[in-house]
Amino acid sequence: MSDLPALLVVFPIFASIVVLLAGLARSRTGWPIAALASVVQVGMALVLGSRGFGDEPVRYVVGGFTAPYGIELVVDGLSATMVVLVAVVSLGVLGYARTAGPRSNPFYATYLLLVAGLTGMSVTGDVFNMYVFLEITGLAAYALVASGKGGRSALAALKYLLVGTFGASLFLLGIGYAYVATGTLNMNDLSAQLAAVGYTSPLVRVAFGLLVVGLFVKIAVFPLHTWQPAAYAGAPDTVSGLISALVSTVSAYALIRIVFSVFTVDFLAANPFARNVLMAGAAVSIVVGSLLAVSQSEIKRLLAYSSVSQFGLIIGAVAVANGTALTGAAIHLVGHAIMKGGLFLTAGLVASTTGARTVDEFEGLGEYLPVGAGSFCVLALAMVGVPPTIGFVGKWYIALGAVEAQAWPLAVVILSSTLLTLAYFARLIERMYFREPVATSSSVETAESKVAIDVATDGTGTPPSMGMWATVVAAAVLAVVLGAAAFEYGQLLEPTIEHLLT
Amino acid sequence: MTDVTSLRPIAAVLVSAIAVILILASHRRPNLRESWTILAAVTKLGLVGSMVPGVLAGRVYVTDFGAFVPGVRFALRADALGVLFALLASLLWLVTSFYSIGYMRGLDEHAQTRYFAAFAASLSSTIGIAFASNLIVLYVFYELLTVATYPLVAHDGTDEARAAGRKYLAYTFGGGVAVLAGTVLVFWLTGTTAFTPGGIAALATTDPVFGRAAFALLAAGFGVKAALMPLHSWLPDAMVAPTPVSGLLHAVAVVKSGVFGVARVVLDVYGPGLVGDLGVGLPLAAVAAFTLVAASIIALRQDNLKRRLAFSTVSQLSYIVLGLAVLTPVSLVGGLLHIPAHAFMKLTLFFCAGAIHVETHTDDISNMAGIGRRMPLTMSAFGVASLGMAGIPLVAGFVSKYFLLIGTVSAGHVVFTGALLVSGILNIAYFWPVVYTAFFESPENGDPKPLVENALGGRYAVDAVTDGGHGAENDDHGYAPDHEGQGPQDRHEAQAHIRHEHGPDDSLAWEHRGWGGGESTWFMLGPILFAAAGSVVLGIVPDSAVFLRIVRLIVSSVTGVSV
Amino acid sequence: MIDALSVRLYYLVAFVLIGIGTYMMIDKGNLVKKVIGMNVFQSGIFLFFIVIAYVSGASPPLLTAPGPYVSPLPHVLILTAIVVGVSLTAVALGLIVRIYGEYSTLDTEIIREVSDDE
Repeated sequence: MSDLPALLVVFPIFASIVVLLAGLARSRTGWPIAALASVVQVGMALVLGSRGFGDEPVRYVVGGFTAPYGIELVVDGLSATMVVLVAVVSLGVLGYARTAGPRSNPFYATYLLLVAGLTGMSVTGDVFNMYVFLEITGLAAYALVASGKGGRSALAALKYLLVGTFGASLFLLGIGYAYVATGTLNMNDLSAQLAAVGYTSPLVRVAFGLLVVGLFVKIAVFPLHTWQPAAYAGAPDTVSGLISALVSTVSAYALIRIVFSVFTVDFLAANPFARNVLMAGAAVSIVVGSLLAVSQSEIKRLLAYSSVSQFGLIIGAVAVANGTALTGAAIHLVGHAIMKGGLFLTAGLVASTTGARTVDEFEGLGEYLPVGAGSFCVLALAMVGVPPTIGFVGKWYIALGAVEAQAWPLAVVILSSTLLTLAYFARLIERMYFREPVATSSSVETAESKVAIDVATDGTGTPPSMGMWATVVAAAVLAVVLGAAAFEYGQLLEPTIEHLLT
Repeated sequence: MTDVTSLRPIAAVLVSAIAVILILASHRRPNLRESWTILAAVTKLGLVGSMVPGVLAGRVYVTDFGAFVPGVRFALRADALGVLFALLASLLWLVTSFYSIGYMRGLDEHAQTRYFAAFAASLSSTIGIAFASNLIVLYVFYELLTVATYPLVAHDGTDEARAAGRKYLAYTFGGGVAVLAGTVLVFWLTGTTAFTPGGIAALATTDPVFGRAAFALLAAGFGVKAALMPLHSWLPDAMVAPTPVSGLLHAVAVVKSGVFGVARVVLDVYGPGLVGDLGVGLPLAAVAAFTLVAASIIALRQDNLKRRLAFSTVSQLSYIVLGLAVLTPVSLVGGLLHIPAHAFMKLTLFFCAGAIHVETHTDDISNMAGIGRRMPLTMSAFGVASLGMAGIPLVAGFVSKYFLLIGTVSAGHVVFTGALLVSGILNIAYFWPVVYTAFFESPENGDPKPLVENALGGRYAVDAVTDGGHGAENDDHGYAPDHEGQGPQDRHEAQAHIRHEHGPDDSLAWEHRGWGGGESTWFMLGPILFAAAGSVVLGIVPDSAVFLRIVRLIVSSVTGVSV
Repeated sequence: MIDALSVRLYYLVAFVLIGIGTYMMIDKGNLVKKVIGMNVFQSGIFLFFIVIAYVSGASPPLLTAPGPYVSPLPHVLILTAIVVGVSLTAVALGLIVRIYGEYSTLDTEIIREVSDDE
């Protein structure tokens, strides 16, 4: 089982091909195979994850070419977290997808490909390899966004593709600069060579800038977020749930990897400008993302802008660059994935049950869909950072880290992000519980929302199944329960963080 | 003090949290649902009460769940200060539960299940605040309390209620952010946030600038719920909530949690000594003194009874904060004792206002002329409680105010003593007209009230003038036209307006009800009389009521001086 | 100046291509032109990689050729990147076909008006 790191990446690709081939023989065989594959994936991820939390990262060299010449896979606590998160969330979303659709075999093949890409990004220890997995993830994500019906999702996917490719290409260009400076692509080797070249060398600085900006596009940091609202709103509900939970999250993980494993904190110390840019990006993203979210009328766009704001917190933690803040970033990455994925799926559930897709249509939801409204409410409050949920714990660590680093302006923005988040969620909560339902018959609905519903439910309009309810409620419960487990997790992560910061 | 590991603190918190589930589950059977509330309230009171003798004997009950974030344990500690607050809240919750049943059924309110569930959740958080062992745990429950009480404020679902709910969330979450920021600072400075009687030692050696900043953030954050001016304006608006909510939460549990937070910060985080050294006590005391005078003056102008009571609450809460901020042992006793004293009296007053609302749908004082005939017991209780508010001896308010006066004088802050006395006079000025109009006037024959209708009032009034200042869309009490609470006075005015020659109309007068309880249901009268009796007992034999003993214990453990 | 440029001519071309590509992706209203812009942009990056591998006077990295060789690694990388680029283009064109089927136009302005989204 020492091939586990590689197997974790190869297995979903293999399963994806199986799904595709099975589709030739019989249609609608995608879900069972994908579900089986995801269960196996979760098992493998847990085994590997438990090994990753050691004092030293698990290293695996692909194909017998020794590092730094061959491709190395490295699993430390942070990548183990991502691997497990990817496996668990994709399994959970599958439970939702069974009835919510889309149901075609190619969809599930792409789904598994996305899992493979994300897992690959998480375990790789080679920057070019990371680029390849970044593109595999991107390709799968574009295709998944486009799997909704109607022109809207295709248009959103194309926009996503153009902007996403732009970001990935900048990332590639950054790799080029780093290669010119050092002649190596292995992360471990790179960090040593970059230090030898000198952190103030223009080549190194440009490489850092290009890599970071490329990832900013993928994470959707303001003002490079433009693809995100359209993509999340245009995609089918299942896909919005999956992508919002994982794609930006793993990209943010990649940012942490690049900044701390490749360039290291010494680079940030030598280049205060780089750190200031990161901080400014974080602060602007938090504030403007929230303000944009407040002005949205469509639920899924609101949630998308909320992501822009929440990832601002993670960037803030990266900029602060101390142990407390990075622990917070890791916790918030996991927490945000659960909460935001859960919110998108709940929004999808509400839409497929009642047709409500705008803020106004949520009026009186508490009356006729108590469980859905309740889950949404819990997840929203967790996102606001009401203790003792996971949302609070992540924010606490990040804020404490910012104070420890005496980065006062950032600390103020991080703390006040609670109020900013409240500003857009309070609107929804008030509508759900303290307003009479408006009469929404299908005749009143605009053509747009009809199209949106078609997109959502694969045109079948099925009532929600047990799987959908279970996923949504599980997300709400996890958002609360994980808050209690965050401390132990922080302890487990300690060696990894130490490793990152030295 | 000895720590005793016990599950009782967490049980006291959880009992009403479990009740929330049971209440929601039995939403189709109101009687069963209400019996869960009562059962939970009795159990909670029993649990908290069972810890009182031990706490008086110097024991501290602790439930520890291990680390929550590094350096911070998620632990509940039932020490003397916590038990004081928890005992008060759980005792009055039981009383309020009966009252709630009478009130909600009397008005046939909607969404009663949500109401009772949210009420139980609020109490759970309140006990959590009381027993929190450090600032983080306190913050956790403080935020949960905000969430749990929001549905109660916005209960009516009218535009007015929703606006009040929004304002409530904005103010209290804003305060929460300040508390969190202060907590982060304290943690950063000292590496701990655990409450230690007399203050966290490490805090004394840190940079005073950060120490002051953290104190200011914490005081401002808790000051929002304690309704310190200028952060008070959510409280009068929150009076659109059903009266039991105004009574228990917005006179006892929620606002007192803010005051309690200030007490924790002053006594157990900084310690009175350090607060004095940093020089932050005096500004806080000044804010409190200003609030207690200004709020009393504003209260004079309110015609809506509940709004008048709300401003009275704002004023009285500042008595407590003032007592804490003056920092002498005697004033600390006065401030802390005013927590239960004010709770009993204000609860009585709110219960009376609610009973009047349920029975006669009257909300405005100008409509209450002669209402003593209709509701003799209620208005008598109201009279007793308002005497206490003004600090007349033999009622609870006297004892605590006595300590406060002595404390401020002995600290040499005569200005604050003056503020307390002025406010006491103003208390009489805004409560006496209510009692007077209820017993000695009738709808046809009432004098204009001072300030509300005319600058001087009484026989000096030249002509009834409008109370002015309100927009055209509101009626003459500053409420939207659909606001409930039009009483006989309004009807009388309307009739007089239509038929000028018409003389007094008997149908407009209050019908007479005896003193035997025929005025309302015993579900409401019982709690009113209990709370009124409680405020008298606290006033006559404060030493045998347990609260003063607990307060003395707290103060002596913090300052080392026994009062 | 001229000398310096002539030595770095390929770098110059690479960055001119990147510039042209970026401009096309942002400015052009036609979706197909945007995709072409994306390809030009990527070609610029590919060229950049090939240029950095070049060693003056060296032969291609073949065992039969005499040394010294140019660096083989960037060539391998770019081979991979080109594959990725081709798949991206394929997906993009597939999407464009669907968009055309839906809206009967490829002009972003018109599509925006029709869908009155955003």
